Amino acid sequence: MVGIVVVSHSPALAEAAVNLALAMTVGQSPRIEIAAGAVDDVIGTDALRIVDAIKKVSSSKGVLVIMDLGSAIMSSEMALEFIDDKALDVRLSKGPFVEGLLAAVVRAVGGGSLDEVEYEAANALLAKVSQLSATSEIIINEQSSDSKTSLKPEISSQVILVNAIGLHARPAAMIVGAIADCHAQVQIASDFSKAVPANSPTALVGLAAKCGQTLYIQAAGPDAKKAVDLIINLVNDGFGEHDESPLPSLKSHNPTTGVIGVSPGRVVGPVLQLLHPISEPDVQVVLELSDRKAAVQHLMLAVAQVADWFKLQSARLEGSAREIMQATSVITTDPALIKVACEAIINCGLTPERAIWEATEDIVAEFSVQGGLLSERITDMYDIRNRIIRLLTVQDAPDSLISNEPYILVASDLAPADTVMLNPRDCLAIVTEKGGPTSHSAILARSLGIPAITGVTEGTAIVDGTIVLVDGATGEFIISPNDEQKGSVSFIAPISLFHGPGRTSDGYQVQILANIGSVADVPDAITLGAEGVGLFRTEFCFLDREDEPSIAEQVKAYRAVFKCFSGRKVVIRTLDAGSDKPLPFLPIRNEANPALGIRGYRTSWHSPEILCNQLMAIAQAAAAEHAEVWVMAPMIATVEEAQEFVQKTRVAGLTIAGVMIETPAAAIMADHLFEQVDFVSIGTNDLAQYTLAADRMSSDLAVLNDPWQPSLMRMIELVCRGASDLKKPVGVCGEAASDPYLAIVLVGLGVTALSMSARSIPAVGQLLASLSREDCRRAAQAALNSDSAQAARLVVRESLSSVIK
Amino acid sequence: MPPSRRLGFAGEFKIMTSKTISLNQLVAWLNKFSELVSAQCNYLTDLDAAIGDADHGTNMVRGMTAVMNAITAAPPSTIGDLFKVVGMTLVSTVGGASGPLYGTFFLRMGVTSGAVSELNGAQLLMALNAGMEGVVARGKPLANDKTLFDALAPALHAFAISLNSYHSFSDAALAAQMAAAVGRDATASLIARKGRASYLGERSIGHFDPGSASTALLFEALAEVLSGE
Repeated sequence: MVGIVVVSHSPALAEAAVNLALAMTVGQSPRIEIAAGAVDDVIGTDALRIVDAIKKVSSSKGVLVIMDLGSAIMSSEMALEFIDDKALDVRLSKGPFVEGLLAAVVRAVGGGSLDEVEYEAANALLAKVSQLSATSEIIINEQSSDSKTSLKPEISSQVILVNAIGLHARPAAMIVGAIADCHAQVQIASDFSKAVPANSPTALVGLAAKCGQTLYIQAAGPDAKKAVDLIINLVNDGFGEHDESPLPSLKSHNPTTGVIGVSPGRVVGPVLQLLHPISEPDVQVVLELSDRKAAVQHLMLAVAQVADWFKLQSARLEGSAREIMQATSVITTDPALIKVACEAIINCGLTPERAIWEATEDIVAEFSVQGGLLSERITDMYDIRNRIIRLLTVQDAPDSLISNEPYILVASDLAPADTVMLNPRDCLAIVTEKGGPTSHSAILARSLGIPAITGVTEGTAIVDGTIVLVDGATGEFIISPNDEQKGSVSFIAPISLFHGPGRTSDGYQVQILANIGSVADVPDAITLGAEGVGLFRTEFCFLDREDEPSIAEQVKAYRAVFKCFSGRKVVIRTLDAGSDKPLPFLPIRNEANPALGIRGYRTSWHSPEILCNQLMAIAQAAAAEHAEVWVMAPMIATVEEAQEFVQKTRVAGLTIAGVMIETPAAAIMADHLFEQVDFVSIGTNDLAQYTLAADRMSSDLAVLNDPWQPSLMRMIELVCRGASDLKKPVGVCGEAASDPYLAIVLVGLGVTALSMSARSIPAVGQLLASLSREDCRRAAQAALNSDSAQAARLVVRESLSSVIK
Repeated sequence: MPPSRRLGFAGEFKIMTSKTISLNQLVAWLNKFSELVSAQCNYLTDLDAAIGDADHGTNMVRGMTAVMNAITAAPPSTIGDLFKVVGMTLVSTVGGASGPLYGTFFLRMGVTSGAVSELNGAQLLMALNAGMEGVVARGKPLANDKTLFDALAPALHAFAISLNSYHSFSDAALAAQMAAAVGRDATASLIARKGRASYLGERSIGHFDPGSASTALLFEALAEVLSGE
């Protein structure tokens, strides 16, 4: 953990500040030392005391020194000169004493790196600054446009964009927000574009600067340096961008060529159209000169209300959704947009709604020319425009979608604001005509776990209530699906209850378990007949977190689940993240092939402490409850990794340890793996992706990524054969287990536990109960001998049709 | 002409190198400085009370008393060691901003002096210059920020010019003492831009900077010890 040294003139002040900070970290002990006061307890500072304090809290993670004023700074600088250990990274924080200390302590106990802890402390005043200046004033900043010609830079600097998506809307808004309180005129240019004012998010987005390009920053004014530093910090930090992984299919995909899945999940349900677009305001109306001033005021009021509305929405959200709404709020008050509109009212007599319409069109036209990611931000602009116009013309805004039944939402495109209104309980899926895999809507849909597809041409022409099938993984979209197609969906309507345990008609037991992400999924799992949990994804604990959750937090979350399954099995999987699923506190660089990069268990190479902490938390939670806890690691490729993981679990005090089989390497080495582990669980989605060398995220490759592929069956068979020699359990927790026919094949291959989303349990359990073990074996053999996925489907269905009652 | 931050005399002077100042004379200098701050303790504290936190006198007295105790208890054998002991003692006993500032001043003097038992004029000037560079590095003062730098810089400037003009050690020290006093007096008309006095802004006008006052005493002590050299 990063050590923190608190330097103050006054021991009383330091102790009070430290106590305040400690109150934020109940149950955790930061490495913190006070160096306050001088000899004889006089008010003052002593460089040698600071040296001692630094040594006490030092570790390879480094030390941050937080100081109050005057001699505290000089003494601390002096102390740095006295430190002999040049390898020790000690930094002096520029942050404010109290706020900076709090921020640093919280970040440090959260496992933050020295860079992160330093950053938090240095920026700890931002919250106060923004709170005190957070009025919805809109200033048409004359300086911003004049500055194009008159800015004489006092400071210039440059920085390379490191975040994957480059300078898009959210980063642009972050820059605008960061320098909002600086008394400085700031301009930014990119490699291929001239300088634009840094207080205009749309102008910044218009730079279309991408990852790897350089931003050239110029600033003048008293806070010029501060503004430049703030921007550089943001850029270097990748704008804190962690949720938004660029999808690999992005580059190759042309959004006009067809439907693509952007958020996985296969559902059937009735269509509900979001709304019809607002009509274009009349261009003929010309306002009287005397009315124009009032019209400007109307527009400003509407803009302020819309900006406030976005702000309000952001306040009740978390993580990426929150940031998107904040960014949208900032964009709403963009001087580039508002100024153009106001000028059009004053000079041309446009109505406010027509003025904002045209101003938006101008910006959108610019975005469209840039193409790519920018064109996906057009939705945001239109959403802002539409909300403003609705306010101006008193049209109803779709603030909430009210429907008594589950529905599949269809829209031309969803604005982030629309998406966050959705309740995943009612909204089965999202279908849009426009938008790409990195659009805000897609990101939000994924974060809400709602299946989503885009590129459905004329989707908005579908009548409300029409039944459609949506597969957010493959991009499959069927209007009025037939019964067979409906049958391919895991959950259509409430099915008669399945009463476990899972078994064939002749009594061969196969555990039917649920995949869950948190305790919230438990009631469904139990109601629908799960015997236990076959995959407890622990990511939920970590997602949307800036820092690693504490052991205590983790214990609490795990116990909540274990408690529900006393005497039953819960297979808990350690953190599965990586550059495809990045987390702020995992130091992961951009990788060309995230799916083949540092992910799953591999993240523990760089951050072993996160895994160790998690295993400790799991062990503590397991000890406190009575569930039968099995623990497994994701993304294992070698026997050594498995052995290493098992050792770590033993050290933590866990008794049953296994690994996921997601790589062909692991499947091929299964017989050796079983010498190390107590069980395995096959992740069929990844195993298919790696076996077929077909990116899961690519809609073009969905045909290859079919869980019915015979090659995949053979991989699974290999694993089962390795297990049967040693009589060790083999589970499947991928999509394959939730397809009832495929589940039968898996059982026939020798799989001993099937884990799936709770919704699939009744269908799988019922089918299994109607077949004998021999039926399953026959189905498996038929699948193994097929030449294609399609053939396997048919032949299995055929072989079972005669025996299914 | 306001004193510049860097004096730049290091490679230029052609002063006599025959005259030297010994370890014992330097100890005497420090002893005299200690006496002067003790005698002027209330004066320094009163200056500080006007624009700071009223502890400069007591801080300096505590620091220099500790310095003299340390030197007496274990007499250093080289000038480098002497200044190192002085610097470290001040750092850990003064408490206020003067601790790291004077501490750095003497530590840098020590490093530059090295393991010798006497310094000639050129060497003393280099050591003093190094000390001032240390003060600049530590406190980042500019001329007229109303800090001890406003006494220290003119003092060293005068000392260098005087030595460079083939004046005696005693004359050079006298010139430094006078320049420091002039620098101290000039701080009265300045607005403080460093340290706690800077929070007072214009209200700091009309008061001497306490640090410049103690620095003037440092050169008064040097002049006294070198008189007749």
